[in-house]
Amino acid sequence: MSLIAFWGAVELGLVFAFVAIGVYLTFRVLDFPDLTVDGSFPLGAAVAAVLIIAGLNPWLASAVAMVAGAVAGLVTAMLNVRFRILHLLASILTMIALFSVNLRVMGKPNVALINAETMISPFFGLGLRDFYVRPLFVGVLVVVAVVVVWRFLESDAGLSMRATGANPRMARAQGVSTDRQIYLGIALSNALVALGGALFAQTNGFADVTSGVGTIVVGLAAVIIGETLFGARGILMALIGCVLGSIFYRIAIQLALSSDVLGLKASDLNFVTALLVTVALVLPRLRRGGAAR
Amino acid sequence: MISVSDIKVVFGRGTPLEKKALNGVSLTIAEGEFVTVIGSNGAGKSTLLGVLAGDVIATEGRVTIGTVDVTRQGTAQRAGRVARVFQDPLTGSCGALSIEENLALAARRGERRGLAPALGPSRRARFRERIAELNLGLENRMGDRMDLLSGGQRQAVSLVMATLAGSDVLLLDEHTAALDPGMAEFVMTLTEKIVSERKLTTLMVTHSMRQALDYGHRTVMLHGGEIVLDVTGDSRKTLQVEDLIAMFRKMRGQTLDDDALLIG
Repeated sequence: MSLIAFWGAVELGLVFAFVAIGVYLTFRVLDFPDLTVDGSFPLGAAVAAVLIIAGLNPWLASAVAMVAGAVAGLVTAMLNVRFRILHLLASILTMIALFSVNLRVMGKPNVALINAETMISPFFGLGLRDFYVRPLFVGVLVVVAVVVVWRFLESDAGLSMRATGANPRMARAQGVSTDRQIYLGIALSNALVALGGALFAQTNGFADVTSGVGTIVVGLAAVIIGETLFGARGILMALIGCVLGSIFYRIAIQLALSSDVLGLKASDLNFVTALLVTVALVLPRLRRGGAAR
Repeated sequence: MISVSDIKVVFGRGTPLEKKALNGVSLTIAEGEFVTVIGSNGAGKSTLLGVLAGDVIATEGRVTIGTVDVTRQGTAQRAGRVARVFQDPLTGSCGALSIEENLALAARRGERRGLAPALGPSRRARFRERIAELNLGLENRMGDRMDLLSGGQRQAVSLVMATLAGSDVLLLDEHTAALDPGMAEFVMTLTEKIVSERKLTTLMVTHSMRQALDYGHRTVMLHGGEIVLDVTGDSRKTLQVEDLIAMFRKMRGQTLDDDALLIG
């Protein structure tokens, strides 16, 4: 693996760290398997790309992308909370609908951002080579996101969200409106995922309607790899685990694809991902002493 | 003061499985009164507790807690008035959160929850002090996850949690039923201490007739969704467990007779 390929993998890992944190919020904190992310990731990319091309400030464009993601999350939450549709199905419905929405937003399946002014472009040409600048820039944003989410989850408000996922009956008895927590949590999660999408578009120079396929698996892979590496030691460690898990995942994929010995092609990516997630899921169980019976 | 007046609860109304869980129950509990509730399975004890807690919305009748009509309020909405300890130790607290996080959650029961850290130094100290009073050594394990505790320890912590924020009524739902006899006694002693020290208006549902007569000021027996016994004061003091058992038998006999009529 070349130096550029390595830092490319780190960069992609950092972009998807937002997805991992979002997935952590839904799957782990709220215990709500949310597949909306497969739609909200390209939604974030599409909204940011289109607005940037239209001449909007890229920071503002990314903020709007986050709002769009949050709205997508609210739709899923409403389908589940208000209309009592099974959480998994509710999120799949939103995800499918978002595919059409994304095409409408972009007007075509693919929008190029080459030569457009992005959040990162002011930092190019300051002395560092581009393939260092990108991961560094995204990395700083990831650190901010980790700190914000960490402080939130350890606040009174965050505690009620965690209780909603862990023991909704107890949460209600403590005066927590569990419905409201689900709305808030899913919205927050998808806002982060959409920000990931917006950054993906800006670092890669395009937004593509198919870029969302498998987002959920990648996010879940990062969360699980993080947990396997770090174990359960508090919120902050779990969030750092998400980030490092996401980077680790990208490097592992990069290694698998670039090693000639295995003879893998880029099109084998999804298979390798599924395999990696399966291994990450099985590994902790094996470590705990034999296969679970 | 809490009062329920002419409460009717019907489950599955209009279906072949229609069940009248409560059939016109009226009960007024004075400020600071400790009432124990007994009754056989299906008598309506849990439903009555649910009506007070907000888990069950009454089909007919009114529920007042303090001076407020809460008949239509959901559990979360009235949580500021109702403190509660569940039968299952796993229900009353959050296994995935630490002891002090559970306490922080309970300390803001029924209040707005903002973005301030849930565990500031002053709160931590206050929680530690309250947990130390239990004499279970848990004050040195405040950061441990709740699911590392035994059932009895969890119930003891749940009792503390119930008193961290103010409330108009404390509901105890067979909260010692899942514990071994030694721990059950510890939790009951603790309950009595907390209730009398804080002069809490309390409603305790129990399966144990011994407990029902030994603790509190007043005992209510439910049967078939109705109150069939309501004793307090001297007449309660002379009441024995045997008397209660005899009453239980008598009522069960009645239902048997009814069944016999139906079948015959």
